[in-house]
Amino acid sequence: MLKTIFHDKHELSNAKMVDFEGWNMPINYPSGIIKEAGFVRKNSGFFDVSHMGRIEILGEDRNDFIEKIFPINLDSLELGSAKYTLLINENNQILDDLIIYNLIDRFLIVINASNTNKDLEWIYSKIKGDVRINNMTLESGMLAIQGPEVIKKISSISNSIKNLGRYKFKNISISEKNIFVARTGYTGEDGFEIIFDNSSSDFVWDLMNKLDIPPCGLGARDLLRIEAGLHLYGHEIQEDYNPIDIGLERLLETKNKSYVSFDYINSAEIKNGEKSIAGFFVLDRGIPREGNEIFYEENIIGNITSGTYSPTLNNSIAIGIINQDFNIISNKVRIKVRDKFLEAEITKLPFYRRKKK
Amino acid sequence: MSEIPKSLKYSKDHEWIILEGNIATIGITKHAAESLGDIVYVDINSIDKELKQFDKFGEIESVKAVSDLYVPISGKVIETNAELESNPEFVNDDCYDKGWIIKVQIEDSNELKNLLDSTEYEKII
Repeated sequence: MLKTIFHDKHELSNAKMVDFEGWNMPINYPSGIIKEAGFVRKNSGFFDVSHMGRIEILGEDRNDFIEKIFPINLDSLELGSAKYTLLINENNQILDDLIIYNLIDRFLIVINASNTNKDLEWIYSKIKGDVRINNMTLESGMLAIQGPEVIKKISSISNSIKNLGRYKFKNISISEKNIFVARTGYTGEDGFEIIFDNSSSDFVWDLMNKLDIPPCGLGARDLLRIEAGLHLYGHEIQEDYNPIDIGLERLLETKNKSYVSFDYINSAEIKNGEKSIAGFFVLDRGIPREGNEIFYEENIIGNITSGTYSPTLNNSIAIGIINQDFNIISNKVRIKVRDKFLEAEITKLPFYRRKKK
Repeated sequence: MSEIPKSLKYSKDHEWIILEGNIATIGITKHAAESLGDIVYVDINSIDKELKQFDKFGEIESVKAVSDLYVPISGKVIETNAELESNPEFVNDDCYDKGWIIKVQIEDSNELKNLLDSTEYEKII
């Protein structure tokens, strides 16, 4: 089992450790998932996300390569900016969702831990010309620091990042440690994601303690991303899904014919999706779980992809993929959970949206 | 190591029981509560029902998982802990006291011999 550079810190903090995609990761600390989600919604919390794949793409021909393998225009990804995108292969399968960062001499992609090997294999197979790949996952650490108080807390030690815009990043130096800081996240809150060399991991962990930012586990991270209506690969995103069905049409931005899936993303086939993503506010007691069937009257109209209990709404919530004809706000459905039916109402996503300051 | 009071008896399904006269109070162990994580629903559908030892009496659900509850002794379910409807976290915070789940009027205290004492329970967790 793989361990992140923070593994010993998690154990010393009495985290409950679980196997997550081959990594031994903290699902929660003694405070528990609900309290940890509350830290992030009300103040601040940080997550060890070092298990995520961090891959650099270098070389003279990297720009052409990026436009060949991702559905993006580099014109809209200026230096110092990041973008959420998809990796789709020539068989029209979604291999991953990821964030790509445009650095001066390279690109960085941050990909799902579960897909790192699969993504790398496909990316290598597409290389032409001067393109080099550097997998920096095991030599670096990554934290997501999230919550309404994060900007203030981090600014107290480095005021150069206070004005960093959403999806912008820069390298900063704190106590002579070089730290990559991006204004990105996966919780629906403001905050940063930071990447640093393994040798700085003790310093970074101590810094979180000093700033009174508590560690939060993957359980809280999942809960927060469901409240924020964000997709998770393997749940709302699967290899054989149509990106338009799952609400990600905005990511297919390229008019560039060199893109490997240009024909697919401009095809009639992709535009005739029949399914769509829906949010469910559960009216009965109980939590729908992945795979549960969703009924409208007597017909099965789809399946649950994620479900949880939302402490922010004080209610059970779920996301599912259903026949788009039934995806009408306030429609009442029944979700089959184990041996019983829970009544639920289709509601707008996200379930939670932060108030902009 | 989870807390395992010596004064209680335990089932292999991680329920605890204490008998006062012919009334048994039943809950889940600290080990079970910790394994489930944050509990959000405790649903008992067996009030006023006569149950046999190890019958299902309800369900307990956390953010991450759901688990059936089994009555460790035969009897009639006469009361549920109403506090748990709005404060299910009592089961995590105080499973042996404020987090009790049901009270059962029992028929035969001899059934307690089918249960484990604290030392025996400790060995199976």
